[in-house]
Amino acid sequence: MRVGIEVGGTFTDLVTFDGAKGTVAKVPSTPKSPDIGAFNALEAGGIPPAQVTDLVHGSTIATNAILERRGAKVAFVTTRGFRDILFLQRHDRRSIYDLRYAKPAPPVRRRDTYEVTERIDARGDVVLPLDITEVKRDLLPALAAGGYEAVALCLLSSYVSPKHEAELAALITASLPNIRVAASHVIAPEFREFERASTTLLSAYVQPVIDSYLDRFESRLKGGGFAGHFSVMQSNGGRLPAIAMRRNAISALFSGPAAGLVGAIRQAGCSGRGDLITFDMGGTSTDVSLVRGGEPALTPETEVDGLPIRTPVLDIVSVGAGGGSLVWIDDGGMLRVGPRSAGADPGPACYGRGGTAPTITDAHVVRGTIRPESFLGGSMKLDAEAARRSFQEIAKRLGTDVNGAAVAAIRLGVANIVRAIQIVSTERGRDPRDYALLPFGGAGPLLAAEIADELGIREILVPPNPGVISAQGLLAADYVKVYGVTRRLQFDAAAPEALREEHAHFRAIAEKEFRELGLAGPLEFQLEVDMRFVGQAFEIPVTIADRDLPTLTSEALHHAFVEAHRRVYLHGGEPGRRAEIVSLRLLVRSRLDTLPNLGERMVDLERPKQAPVNISGTETQSAAIVNAAHLTEGRTVSGPTLIEGYSSTVWLPETWTATRDAAGNLHVRKDAA
Amino acid sequence: MTLDPVEYAIISQSLIAAAREMGVKLIRSAYSNILREARDGSAALLDAKGNTVAQAELIPMQLGSIGRIFAACTAVYPPETLQPDDVFFINDPYSGGQHLQDVFIFHPIFADGSVVGFAASVAHHLDMGGGNPGLNPTASDVYSEGLIIPPTKINVKRDWHGGGFQRLLKANVRVPAQTMGDFDAQMAANAVGVLRVNELATRYGTDKVIATMAALQDYSETRMRAAIREVPDGVYAGEDMVDDDGITEDPLPVRVTVTVSGDSMTADFTGTAPQVMRNLNAPFASTISASVSVIKAALTSPDIPFNDGAMRPITVTAPKGTLLNPNHPAPVRARMEACSRAWNAIMKALSKAVPDKVIACGFDTTSVCCLSKLRDNGWSVYLEVFGGGWGASSTRDGCDAVDSPLSNCSNTPAEALDQDFPFFRLTEYALVPDSCGRGRQRGGIGFVRRYEVLEDGVKLAIYADRFVQKPAGLLGGTPGSTGSCVVRRNGQDIVLKSKQQVDLLKGDTVIYTLGGGGGYGDPGERDAQAISQDLEDGVISQGFAAAWARG
Repeated sequence: MRVGIEVGGTFTDLVTFDGAKGTVAKVPSTPKSPDIGAFNALEAGGIPPAQVTDLVHGSTIATNAILERRGAKVAFVTTRGFRDILFLQRHDRRSIYDLRYAKPAPPVRRRDTYEVTERIDARGDVVLPLDITEVKRDLLPALAAGGYEAVALCLLSSYVSPKHEAELAALITASLPNIRVAASHVIAPEFREFERASTTLLSAYVQPVIDSYLDRFESRLKGGGFAGHFSVMQSNGGRLPAIAMRRNAISALFSGPAAGLVGAIRQAGCSGRGDLITFDMGGTSTDVSLVRGGEPALTPETEVDGLPIRTPVLDIVSVGAGGGSLVWIDDGGMLRVGPRSAGADPGPACYGRGGTAPTITDAHVVRGTIRPESFLGGSMKLDAEAARRSFQEIAKRLGTDVNGAAVAAIRLGVANIVRAIQIVSTERGRDPRDYALLPFGGAGPLLAAEIADELGIREILVPPNPGVISAQGLLAADYVKVYGVTRRLQFDAAAPEALREEHAHFRAIAEKEFRELGLAGPLEFQLEVDMRFVGQAFEIPVTIADRDLPTLTSEALHHAFVEAHRRVYLHGGEPGRRAEIVSLRLLVRSRLDTLPNLGERMVDLERPKQAPVNISGTETQSAAIVNAAHLTEGRTVSGPTLIEGYSSTVWLPETWTATRDAAGNLHVRKDAA
Repeated sequence: MTLDPVEYAIISQSLIAAAREMGVKLIRSAYSNILREARDGSAALLDAKGNTVAQAELIPMQLGSIGRIFAACTAVYPPETLQPDDVFFINDPYSGGQHLQDVFIFHPIFADGSVVGFAASVAHHLDMGGGNPGLNPTASDVYSEGLIIPPTKINVKRDWHGGGFQRLLKANVRVPAQTMGDFDAQMAANAVGVLRVNELATRYGTDKVIATMAALQDYSETRMRAAIREVPDGVYAGEDMVDDDGITEDPLPVRVTVTVSGDSMTADFTGTAPQVMRNLNAPFASTISASVSVIKAALTSPDIPFNDGAMRPITVTAPKGTLLNPNHPAPVRARMEACSRAWNAIMKALSKAVPDKVIACGFDTTSVCCLSKLRDNGWSVYLEVFGGGWGASSTRDGCDAVDSPLSNCSNTPAEALDQDFPFFRLTEYALVPDSCGRGRQRGGIGFVRRYEVLEDGVKLAIYADRFVQKPAGLLGGTPGSTGSCVVRRNGQDIVLKSKQQVDLLKGDTVIYTLGGGGGYGDPGERDAQAISQDLEDGVISQGFAAAWARG
């Protein structure tokens, strides 16, 4: 049996496959010890660990350890003269008119930062040898006395030569075997010392937390007779055996949105769709991504709590626009939606838990696209009157009625997500009309058609059970590891051969590592080369397919780069400007068996045939009500219709038609004008 | 026309997002370390009259007065005469510009056959010619500071990439590959702005976009007026000093009288020192920019979009022939120092009216470090801008080691310097203990940068301030510390003045120290735990902490 368990902020979701038979369950999360919720989910699904052959787990434990400052006690060691790099950061402010600006605080105190005498230059040559006597005399006793669980090492230029950093790591490990050592040349071998130091520090900070969490989880699994594969989701969209994650934890950050995206891509692939714009709309935020050819894009950097992390993560843009986003009027009289949210407590006004401020969810209730009787499969009754009341004040200030105000709020909510989609599409030179829109999360399918209309998108794909796509994505994820290095290469005729050598080098390492992890299947490789014009500081990734590598020429590579530059910056550089290769990454993937389809979970609920909705703000119209589980393969409905499921509702406006396809997805199309 | 409130909200947020995208593309496609790492550039969208509608929040100084330099262009080339592919180029400080290194480019945005607005970008260019690479501290007029571009219209297809205008520029700058690349980055940013406004016009209609541009300025004006109304009416004076004029030792006072009346205010700099012979003069556009920046920062919440509307309630005046409104052709390269003091003077004036909204003086100085060398393949120029510790506020300690309020430059990573400049090496970048002012809230901590010179024939040029005058504390807080620049040669220290250039030798060490900010409130009221934490962290010494406890 294959099991995916995804721990979210509110719910822990479970998806299982026993052969071709899939089931879905949702239990409340247990934020203090997420593993309790995970095992509760197993129990709720009636699944004895002994029967599980493949268990994939996704959690926010790494991210939360940083946000809540519950990581390990960490020391930071760097080159003499630079101990303050984590506090100095980049010397800039994110908010330029804020007089009370404070920098993001790294999870280390200045007194826990140390220096060693050494220096390596940009070519990798030793300028000043590592002073080992000094290390033994000063650093090792200080680390021993400091009560540290982990130490992060980031010496200058270690991205080009790890010599000193590796020597230092070995000295520390030999003398203090109980302190975990995170070395920057292993964690993030890329230039720019602050970003590399921050990444290494955060990795060291969360690693003991993840390690003990996974250890506890695995023991309990084994106690229940579990003998299968236990793996963990990563932010790069792949899974990794838990044992490997316990050694290097940085890719565990932000794995939640990654699982959802992988699940969505897998689901769309079953319908033969690979060019997608996905949006995952939950209670407080929406995660947006653009996918080409069924492959999610990676971005080299992200941040948590304002601190940079250099590790390849799925390219997902998050905006503070969810179902719980507050609707308000600012002191200049402008209508606003978000980024503040009513959260789970008190939640939207219609939850009846004491919230009085209007939210997007309340706006749906007012206009009729959420029916109070059928929310969460009818398990949670909503207060429609409270929702209407919450909009009275705004309606008055806008000079309209409650319906008008709710409709205005929805339009603004739509606009927020449209802008996020523009960031991943038009701002990167991609036309959203070339993509199918794929909504998921509890609140996504309600707005998908209106968002598509704004962008000119004519095709929407709604997966079954849009609210548990993340848990499904865990099982759909391949084993993935990314190997990367900064290597500035002049762009000449020899460059393709150099790339082929790097590819072979990393390939050999990957094959050995995957074998050692018990992953015997065939490996796939994808080479990404970060390029820029000589003198630029920011690179553009150029992907080279494995089949193209043997015959790659420098002209072809240069052409691919110039086209990528043109797409983003609207020009291809001054004629004759030279390009260079700055870094390269090899993405190694071990594919898994394909996943069976998961049908829409049946909800038995008495439903009327019709219900009133008010989409224009002025006129009420009648919409058909359809049970999503009754919309079986080949059946078609036309708008205006509400398609109500267990975890989400699809709003199908007039001029849109939905058909359930063979893969179980709802194929939603705009009628020809 | 009347605007539907929802369409207004959507279009206005889209304009702001477009300006932000312009800023991102400006930085990310740039070539010089001053633009791509330090991010010394800005971008904005203007309406058809040249009023700023939305801006990428990068450098406050460059943003506050884009409209003035734009007006100098349209005075020569009226917008209705423009053709697609026409672009304005300008850097003249005496036509509304900043200093010559800040070059402004404007692209007209056409919709329905007429100009509906402009995409604007400005970038600090590493070298614009003049008497010395990057920075000419001894310039006695603007001619010796670099190439002056008066209001100029070019046709991009004809005059750029190989055209006459580009070749003229290219021939007059010392690092043409980087400078031309940075101009391309500005053009890319503007092209994006043009494209986004065109998309909005197509989607919502040109008239609605034009109406939103006007409404967004009215919106900022409304919020700015509401903020000014909360300040008690009155006349408030403030004063600060620039250390010296680069020749004598005499301080240069910057004096302001702020008058608040209802929902508008004036800042009058009468009483400020006369203009000086060296580059410390600030063109009037810079003075305006500094003044509106500090008023916006002190009085309004950070989320108000800064545009021309926000400036309408504010009038700034400075007598001709003074440091803050010099006569042509006085040199202006180091205008930031006088402007920072104007910023401080207004802040001090406002502290008498709204003490909870202001902060103490920070180091608040633009300290420029320029190392250059003529190599076999041409000039190699390194230029970086440093801030220091910020002044404390009623609720928070000042920010440690960050760029000054009117600027917002990032540092260049030591590893980027190692890659790009073989003639020197950064060997220390660290906080300076005890550099903050004491108070209930302490000032921000300053920092030091140490460079080892690896080759002969290297030139160092600096300008800075507060080497003599400390940044004042507020309401009982003590002052922050001064800065310094020292060249250590064979064990001997050569102490530089704050505006100076010297030739360096292999083996020299340059030690550049940036001071901390002033404290806020009675030091005796500081939380004892906050003092002991700073002590444990080594950002203050035992003696400094003991003095604190004594109040």
